[in-house]
Amino acid sequence: MTNHFIDMKNTDCALIIGSNTAENHPMSFKWLTEAREKRGAKIINVDPRFTRTSARSDIYAPLRSGTDIAFIGGMMNYILENKLYHEEYLRWFTNATFIVADSYDFNDGLFSGYDLAKRKYDKSQWAFKKTEDDQYEKDMTMEDPRCVLQLMKKHYARYDIDTVCKITGTPKNKFLEVAKAYAATGAPDKVGTILYAMGTTQHTVGTENVRSYAMLQLLLGNIGRAGGGVNALRGESNVQGSTDWALLFHIIPGYINSPEAQKHPDYATFLAKETPKTGFKVNTPKWVASLLKSYWMDDDPEKSYHYLPKRIDGKQYAHIALFEAMYNKEIEGLFIWGSNPIVGGPNANKEQAALANLKWMVAIDLWQTETSEFWSYKAMDRPTDNDVYKIKRPEEIDTEVFFLPACSSYEKDGSISNSGRWMQYRWKAVDPVGESKADLEIAHMLMRRLKKLYEGSTKPQDEPITRLTWDYGDSDHPDINKVARDINGFEIVNGKPGKQLLNFTKLKDDGTTSCAIWIYSGCYPEDTGNPEKDYLARRRDNRDVGYSDVKPIGSYLNWAWCWPINRRIIYNRCSSTPEGQPWDMDRVSIFWDGDAWVGNDIPDFGKNKDPNGPGGRNAFIMRPEEVGCLYSTCNEGPLPEHYEPWESPVKNLLGSQEFNPVVIEWEPDKRGTSDKYPIVGTTYRVTEHWQSGVMTRMQPWLAELVPNVFVELSEQLARAKGIKNGREVIISTTRGDIKAVACVTKRIKPMNIQGQEVHHIGVIWHFGFNGYATGDPANRLTPHIGDGNTLIPEYKAWLCDIRRA
Amino acid sequence: MKVTRRDFFKVTGATVASFAVVDLGFDMTATASAIKGTRTNGVKPVPSICPFCGCGCGLVVYTRDGAPADGPQLLSIQGDPDNPINRGSACSKGSAMFNLREIYDPETGKQIINPKRMAKPLYRAPKSTKWEEKDWEWMLTEIAKRVKETRDKHFEHKDKDGIIVNRCEALSSLGGAALDNEELQLVSKMSRSLGMTFLENQARI
Amino acid sequence: MARKTNLYDVSKCIACRACQVACKDWNQLPAVIEPFKGNYQTHKDTNGDTYTIVKFIEHEDDPAADVQWNFLKYQCMHCFEPACMDVCPRKCIYINDWGAVLKDYDNCIGCQYCSYACPFHIPKYRKRQDIVTKCTLCYERVEEGLTPACVRTCPTDALQFGDRDELMQYAEERVKFLRVNGFPNATIYGKFELGGLNMLYVLTDSPDKFDLPVDPKVPGQIPFWQNWVQPYLGWLIPLALLGSATSFVTTRILANKHGEHGEGGHE
Repeated sequence: MTNHFIDMKNTDCALIIGSNTAENHPMSFKWLTEAREKRGAKIINVDPRFTRTSARSDIYAPLRSGTDIAFIGGMMNYILENKLYHEEYLRWFTNATFIVADSYDFNDGLFSGYDLAKRKYDKSQWAFKKTEDDQYEKDMTMEDPRCVLQLMKKHYARYDIDTVCKITGTPKNKFLEVAKAYAATGAPDKVGTILYAMGTTQHTVGTENVRSYAMLQLLLGNIGRAGGGVNALRGESNVQGSTDWALLFHIIPGYINSPEAQKHPDYATFLAKETPKTGFKVNTPKWVASLLKSYWMDDDPEKSYHYLPKRIDGKQYAHIALFEAMYNKEIEGLFIWGSNPIVGGPNANKEQAALANLKWMVAIDLWQTETSEFWSYKAMDRPTDNDVYKIKRPEEIDTEVFFLPACSSYEKDGSISNSGRWMQYRWKAVDPVGESKADLEIAHMLMRRLKKLYEGSTKPQDEPITRLTWDYGDSDHPDINKVARDINGFEIVNGKPGKQLLNFTKLKDDGTTSCAIWIYSGCYPEDTGNPEKDYLARRRDNRDVGYSDVKPIGSYLNWAWCWPINRRIIYNRCSSTPEGQPWDMDRVSIFWDGDAWVGNDIPDFGKNKDPNGPGGRNAFIMRPEEVGCLYSTCNEGPLPEHYEPWESPVKNLLGSQEFNPVVIEWEPDKRGTSDKYPIVGTTYRVTEHWQSGVMTRMQPWLAELVPNVFVELSEQLARAKGIKNGREVIISTTRGDIKAVACVTKRIKPMNIQGQEVHHIGVIWHFGFNGYATGDPANRLTPHIGDGNTLIPEYKAWLCDIRRA
Repeated sequence: MKVTRRDFFKVTGATVASFAVVDLGFDMTATASAIKGTRTNGVKPVPSICPFCGCGCGLVVYTRDGAPADGPQLLSIQGDPDNPINRGSACSKGSAMFNLREIYDPETGKQIINPKRMAKPLYRAPKSTKWEEKDWEWMLTEIAKRVKETRDKHFEHKDKDGIIVNRCEALSSLGGAALDNEELQLVSKMSRSLGMTFLENQARI
Repeated sequence: MARKTNLYDVSKCIACRACQVACKDWNQLPAVIEPFKGNYQTHKDTNGDTYTIVKFIEHEDDPAADVQWNFLKYQCMHCFEPACMDVCPRKCIYINDWGAVLKDYDNCIGCQYCSYACPFHIPKYRKRQDIVTKCTLCYERVEEGLTPACVRTCPTDALQFGDRDELMQYAEERVKFLRVNGFPNATIYGKFELGGLNMLYVLTDSPDKFDLPVDPKVPGQIPFWQNWVQPYLGWLIPLALLGSATSFVTTRILANKHGEHGEGGHE
């Protein structure tokens, strides 16, 4: 989230798309309700199905799953045609004025530079024009036909309302109602927010979906402002943290690319390639050096850089790739830290079959998950004998499984980061159940034993372990405050930890500072010996103090701590005019008082940088060009273009390119077609369960609220298929079948897509064979196909068929 | 045995007294003074954060000291009125947090540990159809051995071009989105020191 | 003492069912797991271990307009004139000084006459203790200065607790506001029904759209009980004490006469 939950009370209009926030982030509706009651805010919901969010929205518009870019493209076209954008904001804070090189072109669904054999673009063809002195060429009037704004106009002119509604299936009046209501936030004193979640990202065009929202927000001047932003509502309590800490193949902690062998053979090359020449990221060497020192304090970064694993250049290691590799017997051992992929992963039948190819697996969880018992008889149960991936019997599975019982969140100490980047502490309240232990303890105990096993080795390949700094206490019980101080960072004095660092501005690139993750630097700025005070995640002062006599906006700057450096709304330089005065006196974030940036938040800008001086309007300091990107360099192209989902019931109306031209097809033979599988399927969650359901199906109070897996379908489809409400049905795709209970509802309607009737069904995906509430995992239906940039699976749009059980 | 309303009062009477301070209104001193109040009557509200979605709602875990060997006894978990995000409220999942550890038995109505919670390390041997209970030391020792075996067998110190790569592509790790930040720090550091390139969490799915 | 009550404003409810769970947490109630029958509202009705439920009701009057998905928190209405109190052979139901209708479970014999008499069919039999239970408006919390558990946990303040008179004022203003803001049929429920309920509803449409009886009535047999049976109850009690089976059967027969009530679902 660029903003945070409480800030939703500041909005004039909330566009909820790709998110069922009333159900999956219920507390957001506390603040949206407040915005509606106190500010008269409008709530808009765009979703294939009428949900509990729709029931509490002012405007509901249906769309076919997988057509967000068409919908948002249509909105952008409406805004550009009617000049409803926030012109001053565009001129100064975005790349709307930038001139694009002559090599850029777009033709029949493809941008210039496409290489069909590699399914890749040569992005250099989309570059900006530069002047002789290496400055970006701009047209401040935004009228040059090759400037970004004009190219956008041309690109999205094709997204007229008729075309858009034929693709999305949205009734035209509904589409217009949404476009009008949301475009009204383009007025300088109005602010709109976009709330999205996995309904947006879990598509082959997920990244471009998000990009289109960001562009819409830039057009309307809604980023960096209280009540605005592009807000990804995170589904897990600390998926923000696990992303920050880079339990991901492509980055190292703090959003720095992870090393690739050919590209980054040594430290100097790594820094040279990963440090931009302009923008705040010029500090990258300080962050990397400090990270390396926190891992291997006794070695120089030049040396310890090599202790980090280097991946094979260009190789895919994402979730889908991991399971493909496991399926192909390339992986021997797997650690699972509170995760349940054979319910939550795509193509769950294949992922289950893959687990049987492991030599060993360690599962750490509070409960027996379906994954930890993937080898059991009950894991073999299927509603039909359609066994696409040859699920094995326990006697045929050689995998050794180690199950370690973890304790629950209130049986241990520690902090988590919410979707708004707030790092909040939770204190231990009761003892762990039985012999269960905190993951902190488990990781610590294990690493101590591993270090012991490698002790004395002189092999260079063992240095990453033998040289590893693991200074969290001498017993099996780690000192959490030592870990917290490590996270914040400290000076290194004579090879030992010295003074804590104030924040990341104190980091050095010469190996004299240590910091495990630069974005969290500042959370433990001082060590007075009293962690209750020193660890800022533990702060509990909940007074919303405004700056001077300015009305507070709900920043709660003394409550817990927020990265970066306690800043609650990022890009907040944009909350003021180019000259530095608030766009709206009612919602003041930061402003220029003549000497400094002050206000209700920590400035996301040089504190004393004059708005009228050089760079004083370069609001997006994390970008090399220091402006917001209407035009960018995603793998699919600089401007989001509509492509159909990998499995779609219709042809792409906007070009001859059917699906995302840059996605990797893992299983081309598993691509279902509409002659056999005519129905659009999607998956989702409900309030009462959470993710793969292990945490909630094991809780009787939640199991009783939603006791079985169900599929929602329209009355029309139910009639056509002879399906009765409350009875069992079988849903099939090329990947397998599941059984579910039918929930026949007026809240889903057949859609008119290009003159053809298209049916939609939706299955909740929380279910598995363990717990008080059991049922088939919906992900046995979903495909192994991912987004063109992130490889997030396309859970949200696939083809299926349904019949009575 | 019938549990009467009066019995219930006997159990929670003290709790009620401390709940009173924290419930009404939005008052930053509430939880603090509640903690103070409870030191005298044995009921303790401990602030926590909900482990479910990304809202980060505050919860209060109300406990009471049991017999010394038993540790604190769980009474109820409710929204934290001091937390500005949720101001004392919680959705159905947050409100069900008590069940994460304990439940009321449908037959007897008695408060018991949730029988689904795992209390012991378990091991499943190749081709086996069942779990075997093991102690922690055995488990950790065996796991460390497996890691070393796999790592030593598949580790690449240098690739074919002589570049130091220090990676082990036969080792992998999944998950972490439900872990605490401090735990992530250890898991991230450990996984990377082992040379893992297949390192993923729920952010990708 | 002034009446204190809950107000439930459906226009703010997101049907997260936190109220249902928080009620179980506070009242120490086990789960009652029943299969999913095609509606989110898994419990068709309250039961001995479930004092409050949220109903999910779909309506579609105008095919051109959006479907209506109505939610309704359903529990004891704490009637001003509770029929359950009148029929109780052990006189163990009473109204406290701020309007909560309460039961003395020590004296309850599980006969379920209250259950049958209730116009909303709320009190339910709990086999494990042979008693009939229902919502208590968390009177013990209220008397300690707290709000009921359901109110405390409500994320959107759809539930409020306070003085009935003040809440009535709020309700009237809210209904006025809703009527000019897209809900012309918005109304208050609980003001006049059955002579007044100590539970107020702000509805966005007429009560029938929320599965509430438009004109709730005490079942016809009640005057018979009050006038003829109750005076002679002394000799009925030992009979009732024979066990829950007997009383269960009697009540079931009477309940069947009363007919199906509060049918959920949307088939």
